[in-house]
Amino acid sequence: MKKNLAILVATATLALTAAPLRAHHSFAAEFDPNQPIQLRGIVTEVEFINPHSWIHIDVTNEDGSVVSWAIEGGTPNTLFRKGINQNTLPLGTEVLVDGYRSRDGRNRASGRDITFTDGRKIYLEGSAPPAE
Amino acid sequence: MHQRMNDLIHALRIAGFAALLAAVPVAGYSQSATADSYEPGRTPDGQPDLQGIWSNAVITPLERPPELADKEFLTEEEAIEYERRRQEETNMDRRQADAEADVRSAYNDFWWDWGENIAATRRTSLVIHPLDGRIPALTEEGQRRSDARAERRRLHPSDGPEDRTLSDRCILWVSAGPPMLPTAYNNNFQIVQTADHVLILNEMIHDARIIPLDGRPQLPGDVRQWLGSSRGHWDGDTLVVETRNFTDQSNFRGASENMRLTERFTRVADDVLLYEFTVDDPDAFTESWTVQIPARKTDDLMYEYACHEGNQSMIGILGGARAEEARAAEAAR
Repeated sequence: MKKNLAILVATATLALTAAPLRAHHSFAAEFDPNQPIQLRGIVTEVEFINPHSWIHIDVTNEDGSVVSWAIEGGTPNTLFRKGINQNTLPLGTEVLVDGYRSRDGRNRASGRDITFTDGRKIYLEGSAPPAE
Repeated sequence: MHQRMNDLIHALRIAGFAALLAAVPVAGYSQSATADSYEPGRTPDGQPDLQGIWSNAVITPLERPPELADKEFLTEEEAIEYERRRQEETNMDRRQADAEADVRSAYNDFWWDWGENIAATRRTSLVIHPLDGRIPALTEEGQRRSDARAERRRLHPSDGPEDRTLSDRCILWVSAGPPMLPTAYNNNFQIVQTADHVLILNEMIHDARIIPLDGRPQLPGDVRQWLGSSRGHWDGDTLVVETRNFTDQSNFRGASENMRLTERFTRVADDVLLYEFTVDDPDAFTESWTVQIPARKTDDLMYEYACHEGNQSMIGILGGARAEEARAAEAAR
């Protein structure tokens, strides 16, 4: 009985999570799933704007040149409800961002998560899987 | 006759819901009052008071998964296991091989805005009619229209902004309604009542639907609106809202612009608003279908979702499409 229940629930959960998550726009239309990217940089600006927030960081390359990147995060409503606000990412904070690069070749990425230098992690819920 | 039958079916559903609510201890749901004995408070105008902020965040799927074909309800044990597994599956620390699933899983375990619980009824689908819990098949004509739209999207995914979905364009959110469905986030809606109007504000895309209750006729058929044309009336303590005059662009689950939507709002406990809607659209579906969602009263605030405010996505999507065209042209040389 226990086993049957486990199978039943497992398959149902699978069916459920396979359903497309609907967020504002199509992840794959804007970002390239084949270009995962990791960036270490300093926070220079945080925009809590709809439908998605944007976090700007300056990344210093090995040759010393500095390049600005824009990282897309989740909608401000969801971030606020998670307790993420303007105090979470003070300007000047060093962060490691995991995400996926945009298709248009600009220095933009959909953020998955941010790791602070002390190992704490926050989840950006950047762009979303396809709307349809 | 048809209407009376619908009313009878509705009354039975409410009674059935009340029995379930009384029998099932569900976390977060008041057990002190249930629909068979529950009398909603009244507004100063004497109407049943449905006002407040409600959340329709549930993790119950819209359609019953095929694996549960003959199972309309989960037992209490199954429901707990289902919710536990769902949290596990969506744990944010699990990296996924597929990039889309990977970003999706950053919608982490405790803050999925879908909520953490299945509907209090423990149903296996939000669709309650037809009885198989599935949206009925499209008619031949409905399928033809749906295929034509898919083909158009395939050939012209991002030529210009008009090719993108209404949600990409911040015009309309498919689940913000009407009709309303649970979605990834912004699952709150607020009801405000006056003597002759009801306002339903949906947090997603921030649309306010202002519904006259004074018996005025629907808009003429040639006036088509993104949210349709809604007219409401009271059926006992249930608010009934009938909506038509949709556009041919919203295509709710394959519906045509001639979809006729009937929504019913019944407060069955202090903290539960039973929301039901029926889709009648013989142009698109082989039969009508009905969804039921027990919305929960929430102490949360309604936040603004000014989608147009910083819609960088459209720039990114169109820019990405042009960049890829340029790369393909370069490679073809």
